[in-house]
Amino acid sequence: MTFMPPPALDDRLKAAFADALQIPADTVQDDLAYRSIPQWTSVAHMALIAAIEEQFDIMIDTDDVIDMSSFAKARQIVTRYVAVGG
Amino acid sequence: MGFWRLDHPDTNPALIDGATGQGLTYGGLRRRVDAWAGRLGASRKPLVFLLADNSADAVAAYLSALTAGAAVALLPAGVPPDLLASLIDAYRPDRIAGPAIPALGGDYEDQDRLGTLTLLARRRPPEGPDPHADLALVLPTSGTTGSRKFVRLSHRNLRANAGAIAAYLALTPAERPITTLPMAYSYGLSVINSHLLAGGTLLLTGDSPMQRPFWDLMRDGRATSLAGVPYTYRMLARLGLDRRELPALRTLTQAGGALEAPLAARFAAMADARGWRFFVMYGQTEATARIAYVPPERLKDKIGAIGIPIPGGALSLDPETQELIYQGPNVMMGYAEGRDDLARGDELGGCLRTGDLATVDGDGFYRLTGRLKRFVKLFGLRINLDDVERDLAADGGAALACVGDDTGIRVVVEGSGPASASLAARLAERYRLHPSVVCVDSIASLPRLDSGKVDYAALSAGRS
Repeated sequence: MTFMPPPALDDRLKAAFADALQIPADTVQDDLAYRSIPQWTSVAHMALIAAIEEQFDIMIDTDDVIDMSSFAKARQIVTRYVAVGG
Repeated sequence: MGFWRLDHPDTNPALIDGATGQGLTYGGLRRRVDAWAGRLGASRKPLVFLLADNSADAVAAYLSALTAGAAVALLPAGVPPDLLASLIDAYRPDRIAGPAIPALGGDYEDQDRLGTLTLLARRRPPEGPDPHADLALVLPTSGTTGSRKFVRLSHRNLRANAGAIAAYLALTPAERPITTLPMAYSYGLSVINSHLLAGGTLLLTGDSPMQRPFWDLMRDGRATSLAGVPYTYRMLARLGLDRRELPALRTLTQAGGALEAPLAARFAAMADARGWRFFVMYGQTEATARIAYVPPERLKDKIGAIGIPIPGGALSLDPETQELIYQGPNVMMGYAEGRDDLARGDELGGCLRTGDLATVDGDGFYRLTGRLKRFVKLFGLRINLDDVERDLAADGGAALACVGDDTGIRVVVEGSGPASASLAARLAERYRLHPSVVCVDSIASLPRLDSGKVDYAALSAGRS
């Protein structure tokens, strides 16, 4: 796997969020959290996990699935997977 | 005697509110309910709108309304303001209680607080007749959260269904169910009612299994059971329920639509390995909640069946159409579309035509084969495609048709109708559907039958 600079990771993660939660990409900020917007439901969360797994070609552990409670947290988790993968 | 009398030893734990960590004994809950019932009562039988959020106070307010002899309508706490406004317009409730009530204009004033809930009272008594003496509860028809149509349920309906469920699940005071479904949804409410009847302890949470606090409450509260619609089981499969350390768990229940056969077999095997009881069940809000269940020991040879009738109920098939017919004391009084309908008495006489088509095998187990009416079940909610169609057409102008199955809804717009993105967004918002299960496209002209009606079969067959 090629080295992935963080800005690219951020953009791709934002795109996955915007797509799964059906919100504009520029509203995806660090403080975006589960239940902070009506769109982030359990159904959207399942879609989000699937989108992130596909985008980064990773398999997310169940503990990380339930801990992914904000955009900042998602970045932290995904960075860890991508680093291991690389 | 109804479960709302909370007739259990004072010191037994009745509920734990996961959000606040607050616990209440049956004695404590009864005192709260008695105090609040006095504040909800009125000289005439009131209609109370309760925006319910799976909190201790929401449960207490619900029981208070039943105790006060009010008619209570349960709505999801997150009900969109425009829908709430249209419901208020149609039903003119005497009181509105909830954790956060959107601004309502001049008809209501702050009356009181019920714990953390705000209680509003209508300034002037609403016009129209009082709710019928037998009416206890009105619930949104499964899933048509965007519609004003409610199911009317009596005290007898509630008592009968809670009793039947407690009987076939063999509930005892040792049960500690965790709430996985909203209490304004008939299945979610049936878990609360039946366990209060049995004297169990409710673990209340608005969190979903997709959030860590849910699992913390499940573990710390020593949850003995969880209830789920097919979507819940898809989540639980993704989260690896079988690999979780859950020593207290002993019962899973499933309703709210057919669980896909592979998933049903997977959870049946998991339950077997872990020593859990797994109940696959069937019901409708029109029957308070529950109609049929598969005894867990028969599940493996009856995958895909809805089972046998609950205690006190009977199932039969219409000899001509094969429509499934249910008879029992939990069959609703009827529907309502506005305040005046609440004054009506029982219109069904305990007999419900389910709209589902079925067969029955030699062991008396029923199996659904199709539907008489055009509705789909998504996320456990029943959505009438004709309602959706009417709803969207009312906004637009262009001819459109709505088809679908239990995996999603497809709206087909004739010619160059309203932009598909805005239609999809409206549908998602009104019915609270994730856009992944909604698809909108256009067609030069809708296929029609000789009668001029849309040919839904042709339209569905064309689905790619």
